[in-house]
Amino acid sequence: MTATAPPAAGVAWLDIRTVHPRRALILMGAGAGLGLVLAGAALFTAKGTTTLVVPADAVAMVNQQPISRIDFDGQLRALAVDPAKATPAMRRQVLNDMIREELYVQRAKELDVGLVDPEVRSAMVKAVEAQAAADAITSKPDSAELRGFYDKHRDKYASEGVMVVRDLVFPPAAAAQARTALAAGAAPEVVATRFGGRDTGKTSGEEFYFAARIHLGEALFTAARALKTGEVSEAIADADGAHLLVMARNTPPAQYDFETARAQVATDYQAAAVARYQGAEDGFLRRRANVLVAKDLK
Amino acid sequence: MLSLGVVLVAGMAQSQAREGRLLRLDPDARLAPDQRTAALAAGRRVFRAQCAGCHGPDGRGDTGYGAPNLADRDWLYGTGAVGEIEQTIAYGIRSHQPKGWNLADMPAFGAPRPSAKERLDPLSPGDIGDVIAFLSARRGATASAEAVARGRAIYQGRGGCYDCHGGDAAGDPAIGAPNLIDAVWLYGDGSPPSVFRSIAQGRRGVMPGFAGRLSAVQLRQVSLYVKSLSEAP
Repeated sequence: MTATAPPAAGVAWLDIRTVHPRRALILMGAGAGLGLVLAGAALFTAKGTTTLVVPADAVAMVNQQPISRIDFDGQLRALAVDPAKATPAMRRQVLNDMIREELYVQRAKELDVGLVDPEVRSAMVKAVEAQAAADAITSKPDSAELRGFYDKHRDKYASEGVMVVRDLVFPPAAAAQARTALAAGAAPEVVATRFGGRDTGKTSGEEFYFAARIHLGEALFTAARALKTGEVSEAIADADGAHLLVMARNTPPAQYDFETARAQVATDYQAAAVARYQGAEDGFLRRRANVLVAKDLK
Repeated sequence: MLSLGVVLVAGMAQSQAREGRLLRLDPDARLAPDQRTAALAAGRRVFRAQCAGCHGPDGRGDTGYGAPNLADRDWLYGTGAVGEIEQTIAYGIRSHQPKGWNLADMPAFGAPRPSAKERLDPLSPGDIGDVIAFLSARRGATASAEAVARGRAIYQGRGGCYDCHGGDAAGDPAIGAPNLIDAVWLYGDGSPPSVFRSIAQGRRGVMPGFAGRLSAVQLRQVSLYVKSLSEAP
């Protein structure tokens, strides 16, 4: 064992190979202080920690469950009271109601009312679905993601087609002549009178394609959609006679560019994300569950 | 070292006390100048990180997305009270959060079934044009008297527009129904084709709720900041 000369004070403090009582004491104190700070922070922020203090963001603690200040203000506002002008009595009333509600919710959990009350069960299902959906829309998709979605579903982003078409029905024998007259530009009323036909009245002025499809039926609509403005269809035989479609104006659906469709794309993107999240939640719950099905229902 | 720890702890305690004071105040209470400056600076940081993506760095919105301009004095939901802004930021709009704003959607009148919630019949392109003429006339523009009369009948009748936007078409901030007779547009530029698209395709913009993602004090700070945007001269 050899004795060594004690190093200079500054060097000894930094040299971890040398025992330095003051350094040890200070580091121990700092560690304890840090521990206390962390414990203090956890005391006031961690969930499930018992506290005797009402946090600043709450108006009350009911069995350690905070009643949020935002919700309290919201309740005051729901009573058409400006929170700034609410009297102490109003505030007490609202707070008491909220505490009572919280107590009853906690009691409901103890009693497990969800097991027996169909309305509560339904509300619980909806709440879990809503939670999954809320998680899905917390982040805004960037422009590239939206554009990718738009490119993938391009057909969806178009204006609805519009047409102004008249549906005339004639005796089958007169249909060919009537068509010739209409194609030559004769007024539908005149042609109908001359060849014993009539306007079916199925369409009325300018209509979206979906409305024209409903009014005309699939076969006539398909024929109408193919017509250009000013054209007359071939005769289409039906139970009530031969139909001639006179297209006064046909504006087919027009594709929206990305910028025009952006708001709709964003809404659809989020709706798709919500559906995906809810599907994933469903799958997750089923995977982790132990579901036994009776033999007769397998 | 010990003194550094003490300073650190004291700083944290002071900061917590300051945040506590801010939260316990009524949301719309007048703040002391230094308290307001600190809250707005913190709120701006939160806004830049969480809100600017949709509302823009200056909060002027994006009519392409239907993200409202927060720097004007027009409030789509509520009256612009800080408490209301805070509630909107906390729980969102059509965010699937039960406490969020979710009372009304703009039906798609150019679709076979305009609304999933209400029984409404579709409108024809001509009907929509008439409603636009009626609204233009309400804004003081010239429009065909016949079209305006037809549009008024649709607005007040089978279109059911009055139900959300009000008999005077001035909107209803209790449900987020925009004013249709001012110069503020949530979607598009207010031109007839753009209004036509809104009526024909419907609108249902979404804003996520930030409760749980932002702390209570951050919610308050960003709400104060949003309010301050509309107060700028």
